[in-house]
Amino acid sequence: MAATHQWSESNGAEVVHDGIANINFGSNDSYNLVPATYPITRNTNSFCKYIRCKFTGSWTEISNMKFWKSNGEYKTDESISAGFNVAFATPTQDDQRVTGIGDTAVPTSEPSQNVNSFEGASTIVYGATGVSGYSAYVRLQTQTLVTTPSGAVNSKTMTFQFDET
Amino acid sequence: MDNSMDIKINSGNNPIDSLSFLWIAIFSDGTKIEQIDGNGIEHRFQLVKDRFEDLVYFNLTDRKGHLFTVNLINGLIGYNKLEFPYIESKEKKENIRLIYFLRHRIEIGTEDLQEKSHTIEYHLGLQYLDKLGNNQKIILRIDSEGSFVIGE
Repeated sequence: MAATHQWSESNGAEVVHDGIANINFGSNDSYNLVPATYPITRNTNSFCKYIRCKFTGSWTEISNMKFWKSNGEYKTDESISAGFNVAFATPTQDDQRVTGIGDTAVPTSEPSQNVNSFEGASTIVYGATGVSGYSAYVRLQTQTLVTTPSGAVNSKTMTFQFDET
Repeated sequence: MDNSMDIKINSGNNPIDSLSFLWIAIFSDGTKIEQIDGNGIEHRFQLVKDRFEDLVYFNLTDRKGHLFTVNLINGLIGYNKLEFPYIESKEKKENIRLIYFLRHRIEIGTEDLQEKSHTIEYHLGLQYLDKLGNNQKIILRIDSEGSFVIGE
């Protein structure tokens, strides 16, 4: 029906920032950051980002939520990992692909993996008791190696898809 | 179950403004529910779902004159009052059910400080049981300009 959508990022001790303008990666845990101010040193990772979608307005049901990288070429030995439906933790620069966390390369086409509601359900039903209107978190992080070229990386585009009635 | 939303069109920043197509549901007793009624009140699709058993026509229309109609009695889909000829009208269809949802794609970028595009594709069609009892689907994917493709 007529849901409205905002991107949202949480930082620090889960301080929520709705209506973010970008998901720039950098060496700082902040939203809408300027990469030139917080560049990622080669052979390190960006701070991971916890992003999600917030729905307001009115609808009957939001379902079939998916997230993927839809555009933007990697530089040599640059990568972006993703974890879906993850619990928030204070963002760090630790590699999120390690055993025990297990994030994997962000999909580069529409994936089969669905993003849930923040409450863990596969749908966000309007007016349902206790429903926040948020999707679950997607955790993103940029990784580099010593062989990654210096200078700015290419811009990337991420797509969030959902069905609404 | 609530019956309407307290959202009035033309009263400021309203999410409905982003929709190209609006629906009208017509029921077997002749009553209808419009997504936006004559008083500018927006109604949720839940009201239609609550009366699926009585639904006979579901129309999707825009300001440019496009009209898509799903006939839940005979299992036909029409465009601007013409029935699609490739849908076998003589085939007996049972348990005909409406398919309708909006598929949103929203983009955000890195590095460029701007949220990118937001596209809405309308998925409209029906599913039914054919004479062999197999579930069949016919779905139109309609863009905001009224162009459409047929899928399953």
